[in-house]
Amino acid sequence: MSNEHTVKSYEEELQFLKDSLIKMGSLTESQLSDAMDAVIKVDKDSIDKIIKSDEEINKFRSRIDTQIMNLLVKRAPMAIDLRETISSLKISQDLERIGDLSKSNAKKVKPLPLDLPDELLGNLKRLGELVMKQLNDVLDSYVNKNFDKAKEVWEKDEQVDDLTYIAMESVIDFLSKDKKNLDFSTHLIFATKNLERAGDHITNIAETICYLVKGEYLKGRRPKGKVTQE
Amino acid sequence: MSSIKIKSKNLNVYYGNKQALYDVNLDLNEKEVTALIGPSGCGKSTFIRCINRMNDVIDICKVTGNIEMDGVEINDKNLDVVSLRERVGMVFQKPNPFPKSIYDNISYGPKIHGKGETKSELDQIVENSLKKSALWEEVKDRLDEPGTSLSGGQQQRLCIARAISVNPEVILMDEPCSALDPIATAKIEELIDELKKTYTIVIVTHSMAQAVRVSQKTGFFHLGKLIEVGKTEKIFKNPDNKMTQDYITGRFG
Repeated sequence: MSNEHTVKSYEEELQFLKDSLIKMGSLTESQLSDAMDAVIKVDKDSIDKIIKSDEEINKFRSRIDTQIMNLLVKRAPMAIDLRETISSLKISQDLERIGDLSKSNAKKVKPLPLDLPDELLGNLKRLGELVMKQLNDVLDSYVNKNFDKAKEVWEKDEQVDDLTYIAMESVIDFLSKDKKNLDFSTHLIFATKNLERAGDHITNIAETICYLVKGEYLKGRRPKGKVTQE
Repeated sequence: MSSIKIKSKNLNVYYGNKQALYDVNLDLNEKEVTALIGPSGCGKSTFIRCINRMNDVIDICKVTGNIEMDGVEINDKNLDVVSLRERVGMVFQKPNPFPKSIYDNISYGPKIHGKGETKSELDQIVENSLKKSALWEEVKDRLDEPGTSLSGGQQQRLCIARAISVNPEVILMDEPCSALDPIATAKIEELIDELKKTYTIVIVTHSMAQAVRVSQKTGFFHLGKLIEVGKTEKIFKNPDNKMTQDYITGRFG
């Protein structure tokens, strides 16, 4: 008994779907990283490029939608194939949302002054790096169908929450020193919150991968950090 | 939780030297639809033929182990096979109406089983059976026409009406829709949904989608063995056995 479908074209269609999702994932990764860099370096020149790459991600999303519709109609997938198909639909939605949040962060760069203090950006940078690592790990767990790694990402979102809280605190602290900082501080607060929300989409993806691999949803409550506890 | 209507324990079937079923342990719940799936020759039809002792008609067939209905051994030599088949009706792959009128197709069974002694009683049985099989409206004005004059889908519903005319407890369906178009198939499936309120139904099917649509429980057979049985939803979303998964996803070499 082989692991390949008897119908070769079915096998190819499923593989094509997986490949599309992996490409979409890596595009989302680059965009998130570029948007992070733009904020940290207050690099206003890269804003347009980041906004443009979001259009690419959205195109991937609609292409994946079409592939999924075709698979459902043509193959009526069952068991692991059904889970693979439905999971792709859900993961591509979460990736698209992460793309939107990165785009939103890129737009926040415009009003930022070029001389932001390092301690203010330091915490945001740490948060960004953690969210990047989370996205990277969750995509790895998708490629390798690694349940444990996906679950680890899911649990680690607690740290994203904690870092979000710390980054928010430092912006508020900075703001309280001088009311003139109000305008761009607000943008930094939104940028921080966007990263936290990207983290939430990553945990959604982790949950979906756990379901994809084992056919069961994760049980119990996800550990929550400071920012979401109130 | 439904109660168990049919229970098989270590059921083995041999056709001469060839073993067709190996230690099958399978429970069929009352007033539920159980679907049996698996590649051709895997033993699913052999299994359902044990339930109404249809294997008796094959000389070289030998059955060992137990198969019970309501706790009574079906294989018991002293069991009255005629009354067993009155309790367990069967519908086959190809519609096979008798070469008689629509009316006679239905009334034949009750007559030989001594039901419906008067004409009006028989009329009532015919009408009820045709209504239950969702055929009444289509044939009520042409009951004296030959059963074979109906379309394939109508003939299959006529066969279902014939099966239920003797008021059975169990209905066995061996690929009842494989010769029918999608509309006729949909009608039979809707009928199965309705019939399960009254009868215990076992359906052998090669259509995964049909098994998902009509059944509550699914058993997967392979080379005479029951590989996996469970809630239909579980079997088709997340089966435990790799062989089951390979079969239902079309990975069987």
